[in-house]
Amino acid sequence: MTRRRNRVVHVDVRTWTDTDLVAASSSGDVEAFAELSRRYRDTYIRFAVRMLGNHDEAEDVLQSAFIRAYRAIDRCRDPSRFGAWLYQIVANECRTFVTRRARRERRLVRDEFQLNEAAVVSPASEARDTLEDVQYALNQLDVEQREAFVMKYVEELSYEEMAEITGAGISALKMRVKRACSRLREMLEEVHDA
Amino acid sequence: MPDSERKNDDVFGARLGRILRTDERCHEDFEKSLVAAIQADHPVERDVGRRSAPTQPSWWLTPITIRLSPLVALPIAAALIAMVAMSTTTLRSTDSIAQPQQVAQIVHDTVSVVRFVFVGEAKTVSLVGDFNAWGARPVEMTPTGGNGAWTVSVPLGSGRHEYAFIVDGKHWVADPLAPTSADEFDTKSSIVNVGT
Repeated sequence: MTRRRNRVVHVDVRTWTDTDLVAASSSGDVEAFAELSRRYRDTYIRFAVRMLGNHDEAEDVLQSAFIRAYRAIDRCRDPSRFGAWLYQIVANECRTFVTRRARRERRLVRDEFQLNEAAVVSPASEARDTLEDVQYALNQLDVEQREAFVMKYVEELSYEEMAEITGAGISALKMRVKRACSRLREMLEEVHDA
Repeated sequence: MPDSERKNDDVFGARLGRILRTDERCHEDFEKSLVAAIQADHPVERDVGRRSAPTQPSWWLTPITIRLSPLVALPIAAALIAMVAMSTTTLRSTDSIAQPQQVAQIVHDTVSVVRFVFVGEAKTVSLVGDFNAWGARPVEMTPTGGNGAWTVSVPLGSGRHEYAFIVDGKHWVADPLAPTSADEFDTKSSIVNVGT
């Protein structure tokens, strides 16, 4: 429901384009922004879960990123590409969170409950590497390598899209992916040899 | 990089990608919580521009007057402590429930997003504190996970904040797992230190 010129106008924001919703959000319509959130949250939650290794933290970080997006929505220069702009903010927020957490903890504690739970849902056909093992190995990567690997092989983005989101050059991204693959291969082979 | 090496990486990466491509969904109350957090963010202006016509959230509770009686407050506090103790053994993510005062603090600029968690049987739970003038703008909490947990995330500035939960619109409950303070009428409130 939007109030305009002292008249109450009932509108269905679900039919609006991203451009319409960004314009409404920019003028303070929180419900319009909530609709943008509904459109993109499930697209980005998996990226955040893989980056953070934990669903609850991923939702918190996603919410923090969305609040940041709402505050800065006037800076969204191309509202028709709001999704790509939001992805940049989500990726930044994940990177910042992971870096701060690493500084704070200086060590990664394996969450036994989460890993056991994850093992149940890993595809049986690829049982050699379980979700728990792969996520654990992913957590050990440098945050930039982790981000590049997740974007490339989990979210299946092109290097051009990755460059737009991260601001890094394509050759740098290829190098991060290559190093991520090398480290993951080493770590997973250690697990199998153990 | 030789083509064969790149191809090996692609095969390897794609295989791990299939394992990691799980179906993840946000909680169904994600937007409700987001809107609450944005509304509670009122003192913090957006980076650029100003809202021409701030919308009034329809779900704000009206301000309430709470009459405090030790005969009512003490049994509620005791029951709450018992429920929290039970929930820590049954809930899937005990960490997020066992530390209700600040499960997550995500710092952005000078504001942190603090998640408050209340565990107990209730029809409604709202959060009041010095950050919302003790109920002038109470923040409604949302049931999460079907385990009697109610949560809300609120942006708070750095420093010490006092808060309490309002259960079913009339019962004032301090957080049993957080430090408390008392006013001149011995009404207990909880304390959360942000950014320290």
